[in-house]
Amino acid sequence: MNKKSNILKQAAAYPHITWAVLFIIAPLIFVMYYAFTDRKGNFTFENISAMAQPSYLEVFLRSVCFAFLATVICLIIAYPVAYFISKASPKTQKILIMLVTLPQWLNFLIRTYSWMALLEDTGIINTMLGSIGLGPIHMINTPFAVILGMVYNFLPYMIIPLHSVMSKLDNRLLVAASDLGCNQFQVMTRVVMPLSKSGIISGITMVFVPSISTFYISQKLGGGNFDLIGDTIERQFQTAYNYNLGAAMSFVLMILIVISMAIMNKYSDEDGGVIV
Amino acid sequence: MNKKNIASNIYTILVFVFLYLPILVLILYSFNASDSTSVLKGFSFKWYKELFTDSATLNALKNTLVLAILSSVISTIIGTAAAYGISKMQNKYLKNVTMSVTQIPMINPEIVTGISMMLLFVFVGSIVGSASRLGFGTVLIAHITFNLPYVILLVLPKFKEMDKNLPKAAQDLGCTPLQSFFKVELPAIMPGIVAGFIMAFTLSLDDFVISYFTTGSGFETLPIRIYSMTKKRVTPDMYALSTLIFVSILVLLLISNLTSDKNRKEMSKKAKTIAKVSVGSVFGIIAIITVIVLAMSAGTKTVKLNVYNWGEYISDGGEGSYNTNLEFEKYYEDWWYETKGERIDVQVNYTTYASNEDLYAKIKSGAGGYDVIIPSDYMLEKLYKEGEIQPLGKVDKITEAIPNIQYLNEQFKQMFVYPNEDGELELHGAMYTYGVIGIVYNADKLAPEDLDKIEKGEMGWEILYEQEYMEKYKGQILQFNNARDAFGTAMYYLGYNVNTATKEQWQEAYELLQKQKPPIVQSYVMDEIYNKMESGEAALAAYYAGDCLAMMENNESLGFFYPKNSQGVYETNIFADAMCIPKASQNKELALAYINFMLSEEAAVANAEYIYYSSPYTHVKDNLDYQIYMGYCDYDYELDENGEYVLDENGEPIIKLDENGEPIIVYFEDGGDYSTIYYSEFENKLGSMFDTYAYKDLDTAEGANITTQDLNGYWEGLKVDSGSFDGTIYIVCGVILAGIVAFAIYSIVINRKRRKLYWSNSPSESTQKTVEKDDSMSETVMIAAVKAENKKKD
Repeated sequence: MNKKSNILKQAAAYPHITWAVLFIIAPLIFVMYYAFTDRKGNFTFENISAMAQPSYLEVFLRSVCFAFLATVICLIIAYPVAYFISKASPKTQKILIMLVTLPQWLNFLIRTYSWMALLEDTGIINTMLGSIGLGPIHMINTPFAVILGMVYNFLPYMIIPLHSVMSKLDNRLLVAASDLGCNQFQVMTRVVMPLSKSGIISGITMVFVPSISTFYISQKLGGGNFDLIGDTIERQFQTAYNYNLGAAMSFVLMILIVISMAIMNKYSDEDGGVIV
Repeated sequence: MNKKNIASNIYTILVFVFLYLPILVLILYSFNASDSTSVLKGFSFKWYKELFTDSATLNALKNTLVLAILSSVISTIIGTAAAYGISKMQNKYLKNVTMSVTQIPMINPEIVTGISMMLLFVFVGSIVGSASRLGFGTVLIAHITFNLPYVILLVLPKFKEMDKNLPKAAQDLGCTPLQSFFKVELPAIMPGIVAGFIMAFTLSLDDFVISYFTTGSGFETLPIRIYSMTKKRVTPDMYALSTLIFVSILVLLLISNLTSDKNRKEMSKKAKTIAKVSVGSVFGIIAIITVIVLAMSAGTKTVKLNVYNWGEYISDGGEGSYNTNLEFEKYYEDWWYETKGERIDVQVNYTTYASNEDLYAKIKSGAGGYDVIIPSDYMLEKLYKEGEIQPLGKVDKITEAIPNIQYLNEQFKQMFVYPNEDGELELHGAMYTYGVIGIVYNADKLAPEDLDKIEKGEMGWEILYEQEYMEKYKGQILQFNNARDAFGTAMYYLGYNVNTATKEQWQEAYELLQKQKPPIVQSYVMDEIYNKMESGEAALAAYYAGDCLAMMENNESLGFFYPKNSQGVYETNIFADAMCIPKASQNKELALAYINFMLSEEAAVANAEYIYYSSPYTHVKDNLDYQIYMGYCDYDYELDENGEYVLDENGEPIIKLDENGEPIIVYFEDGGDYSTIYYSEFENKLGSMFDTYAYKDLDTAEGANITTQDLNGYWEGLKVDSGSFDGTIYIVCGVILAGIVAFAIYSIVINRKRRKLYWSNSPSESTQKTVEKDDSMSETVMIAAVKAENKKKD
């Protein structure tokens, strides 16, 4: 009786499982199919081996580099913020976290667009700098601008998981650590950091993945000068009409991400399931 | 302590400034009096007024909201059920597999999710063979798919946290299993469900990438609409809309946050009931409205027309202008009623794209379902040759199908006319606009001798491509961010036919573009050119003449010229956009009526004034209002001695009349924008210019040994290998990576030492117990402590 009802209860998951097979697994099979066939549908490795061309390798390297830097910068900026927020009163915490997520409600294309107005040589920042006698700093169309765009857009994805772990941190542990002779820095590195590892891991995932695959930010803030994987894939599907090459790139990108996830999971004890 | 607090506060504030800086900018420009998003010209509410007349944007907003609500509700229901089922799973293997698959859309990049679903839908569509394959349904499926994992991962922990004996206890106390679920389990997991719903709603609202790949005819969300504005410009009413969204959400969240903490506890039962009733009634109202809408649409016959056009390429009712689509709906409904005596409801589903290639990809991906599309010349030819569009009618009888086409300028009558199998000539595209590529420049940034040359009309494409100029204007030049135009301008400079079949000439153009690459070219642009030219960021760019005129309105230093070749002949691209009916169209009659309506004098003039490109129709060109609007002529007004208008009793300026009582018209010497739109220099050669300078489809050209794919290959080569990249970034990356590795090794070593020291003196068992005993300890800490223990044991 009990077993039977349990099986019935499990059945609640079946709609989702069916959905997942139809719309998660099946599409990925199509990506693989296109990646390993040519336009006529014959099996080929050509699309994958095209990735080995120096120019595509550079695109991949550049994307990994940009995404890596954006992730590191996000972590450096977000960590103290998440910590300070978690030390505030519960009410303030709630409001501050709300303020962190609020920009996400506005369309990211529009937000990126207004960064253009800020960063240009004749833009708002440089005009302000000029009025206090500082020379214009060239920012737009540089790697800096692209990485800044990534950091800006994905910073909340770093702050939120970090904060959600830190807010659960027992304050007595910190007190105990300093009682036992840790200085402030040691409390951070020996107690807070190890305990917020799961937050760090999910934050890194949530910043790195969208950064490595973005295609709008690099077009607008990089002036189209720094082609990233996302741009190249988008071009295959929207202008070059080369589905096979695009699918092959997506496939390689997916593998790349799976590998980096695996590396990260290996060096972390948690299985990183913390979101919000 | 205090000092530290101040420092941390300042730091937090700085981060928030960073997060809100672009939003402030966006709010600032939403009050801008001009249509520029880079030059401020005074305060105005104009864009807010505009927003409420912009039916396409409002429609996109509605679509976005409907999609977000539907997808989040459905994914919350499926996801909660799934979480319940997963929590009851005893087979560990099955559970793990399910969880891993669930997480795929979270870990997969959005772009991969988007294209993988597109490939699936296109495939299924091609099997089912339905006319409209991509659209609302496919976007909804995609959104539910990427929302599901978030809902499940937020609800699942709540099931795990819940005391397993609770439902049993409830049932012991007399609850039925269903009652125990709704009265005991559901309230316990409610916070998870709410969090999941909000997360899903937010994600769906902001999603661009996945919708972009999975949408088709007749369905456009706000992010897609913004993206497709990239040929023209992102209009400030988008900024106004964002500001409104921002302010309303801010107020809403602040109210709920400020009131909740204090009042929720004090909230009486009564208040709770009121809250419940009000929430219930909101849902009730939504349900009633849905029913009414459904009932209404069931009552009158609804006819839908799917129009797919360039972004910002129709007079849409903004700034008090003519709302073409709305007027058409009214016109056709009335016409139908008069001729057939039946009321119908006409709906124009108007969606937009950013480039010809975008359009082509959508048509080819089987999005289908479009009734009217507006490709440019070469794309029209390609679509015709691939059998994607149907003829509008036989040329000798075309005025029966589209009466207004009689006003088409004689020079264009041969365009888009192709013979059918029987050799009869058929028209495949009704011209909408045409235009010429010119060079826009900032006079403040050019050397006097070059300005002089431009004024004398001696300047050509060399200003963009000759070594001397490239060095002089290094970092000041903007280049097209599309293959056809970028290669086209290079070809004109080299003096080759722009559709040349010789591969070596394409190679040469490619090398030229390679030479011109950043840092010489500042950036590759489409719509960003507006910002960059208006703000003075760049000095030189080739772009479409009509757009250049629009830029010049926002910056007086900007000038514009048509490049000549070494023989002193104007040599530049001429393009035409024409309205076509795709093969898959379900309603040719309505599509033809729409095309005819677009060419009626009122609509055609309104569109020509809005778009700023030339109209090939004589009734537009000769329209007095249009000529006045373009600064070609004006009425002769009565002026007083101070040069002010003399006003009549209604406050209108008085117009001088001639002896016949007709108003007197004065023609301006420079002809204003009219003269630049109706290129006096080559006005009579337009037909032949199309033969020589317009782009043609490369794949189907005779004797061609270069294909679009080759061109794409060149463009790919140009884009992926970036010349301006100096590699410092790699070094920075490498250094950081090395740092992280070094730190990791260091911490592993130091931890080992420390552990040896520490654990040798302290009994580990007892530590573990204390940690576990302490109930108030958070789960994370506990897990961490236990894991640290286990590690030590290893």
